[in-house]
Amino acid sequence: MVVPGLLWLAVFAVVPLGFLATVSLWKHSLFGLTTAVSLDAYRIIANEPVYALVLWQTLRIALVTTLLSLVISYPLAMFLARLKGHHKTLAVVLVFLPFWTSYVVRTFVWLPMLGRSGVVNSTLLALGIIDKPLDWLLYNEGTVYVGLVYVYTLYMTLPIYLSLDRLDPKLVEAANDLGATPLQAFRRVVLPLTMPGIWSGCTMVFLLSCGAYVTPQLLGGTSGHMLGNVIAAQFLHTNNWPLGAALSLILVVVVIGFLFVAGRRLGLQQLFMGERR
Amino acid sequence: MRMPWLLRGYAAVFYAFLYMPIGVMVVLSFNDSQIMGFPLKGFTLRWYGEALAEGALLRALWNSFVVGFVASLVATALALMIALGLRHRVPFRGAVLPVILIPIITPGIVSGVLLYVSFGVLGLPYGLSTAVIAAHVTWVLPFAFLTLYPQLHRFDRSIEEAAMDLGATPWVVFRRVILPLIRPAIIATLLFSFTLSFDEFIRTLFVVGSQRTTPVYLWLLIAEQMAPFLPAVGVMIMLVSIAVAGVGFWVSGRAAKLAARVEG
Repeated sequence: MVVPGLLWLAVFAVVPLGFLATVSLWKHSLFGLTTAVSLDAYRIIANEPVYALVLWQTLRIALVTTLLSLVISYPLAMFLARLKGHHKTLAVVLVFLPFWTSYVVRTFVWLPMLGRSGVVNSTLLALGIIDKPLDWLLYNEGTVYVGLVYVYTLYMTLPIYLSLDRLDPKLVEAANDLGATPLQAFRRVVLPLTMPGIWSGCTMVFLLSCGAYVTPQLLGGTSGHMLGNVIAAQFLHTNNWPLGAALSLILVVVVIGFLFVAGRRLGLQQLFMGERR
Repeated sequence: MRMPWLLRGYAAVFYAFLYMPIGVMVVLSFNDSQIMGFPLKGFTLRWYGEALAEGALLRALWNSFVVGFVASLVATALALMIALGLRHRVPFRGAVLPVILIPIITPGIVSGVLLYVSFGVLGLPYGLSTAVIAAHVTWVLPFAFLTLYPQLHRFDRSIEEAAMDLGATPWVVFRRVILPLIRPAIIATLLFSFTLSFDEFIRTLFVVGSQRTTPVYLWLLIAEQMAPFLPAVGVMIMLVSIAVAGVGFWVSGRAAKLAARVEG
């Protein structure tokens, strides 16, 4: 029973990784691909600092996005967990609703928000705060944060909300009765018990941000470039498959490394299925 | 627990941020101006007309529907078989979950490139019916499994064993005992899988060839030209996605109620 599904994954998810590794060892030249084994692609990555910089920038953007999402999502999850009955259903559905549409749409909506004739500029102009449109609202690292947090925040809110919802309110009451201040009760009782939700949310947002392509491409400009854009360019423009494949493999290795660290604390089961060990 | 006003205020700001960009897109889709932006120049339905008249949008929507239908069926069937199989003894059981999670763990851009490179090296054709379906089933399968598996483990195994003891073959046990119990879960999974496939972009872009799915159509439209009817296209795509997801929500809610009544 298990075989067909696993076979499918082997053929379309595992074996292609092998192809990717093989292609990364090929040679790229003006005349196209040659199947001779070479470490050219990796040599280029090691020698040209631009690739290390982009990798660093990608990890930094993914990490900051994760932290921003955490800070933004946690209070909302608390809000949702405290609601009851129909109000709760409505509030949860309202959080979900925008995420039911493609992230291409959800990224695109920021162009008319932050563009030259967008909402922010028009408002500031109308209020007389500025006398010509601001150009730095779009196409930089900051815009990428706005876009990524906007697109991925549900993946943070949901697991935290679920872990807060499962939390027995009596535990907080008990802490309060024993003389804990609200902050102490939060720090010593609520936070530790919702750690699984936090880890699960952080993992999802970090993974998704690491592989981002649409948001930096659409909103990032040159200063908000991420590895996804560099990889895509190797296949769509410069046609340097070995370099693109090598960069992809590096991204996979880095992500798996991070996951290994997170997985040691929690176990994959809990990370992805929200189950307690 | 009482709701502190600070939390209430925070939630209000959050929802405002969540919905403002979407609201702006909706407003601009009716704006009678060649420039996508402000000031507002008057109300028009012209952009909707222009977007639909092109035909490319409707073709892309149709393609997405077909791919979503096939991909969700295949992925749900495969995920169901794995979930059912895991109820029995399986060698290397511990390795099954990590393997299933591979498509989720693989960064989006890498997944997009994976099949592009593999199909390219093998000389297989790109396109909707080949690489796109393969990519979508692979992407959706883990999510289908993650929604089905807990449901399958919830119900009492003794019902199944009782049926076996009474002489039912495994197929009859599945058809008459397991399937009715998990039907709501299967329907919910199918619809969830469909929306995932319908909205999928990065795993589609590279391998789609000359055809278009809805998100790819929108992407190329944004990349190639800032057409004034872009907000209208965005609104229509959003409405379709939300309608599909809404139907899914409604059907799975009804199915769950129905099942509760049957079991009760």
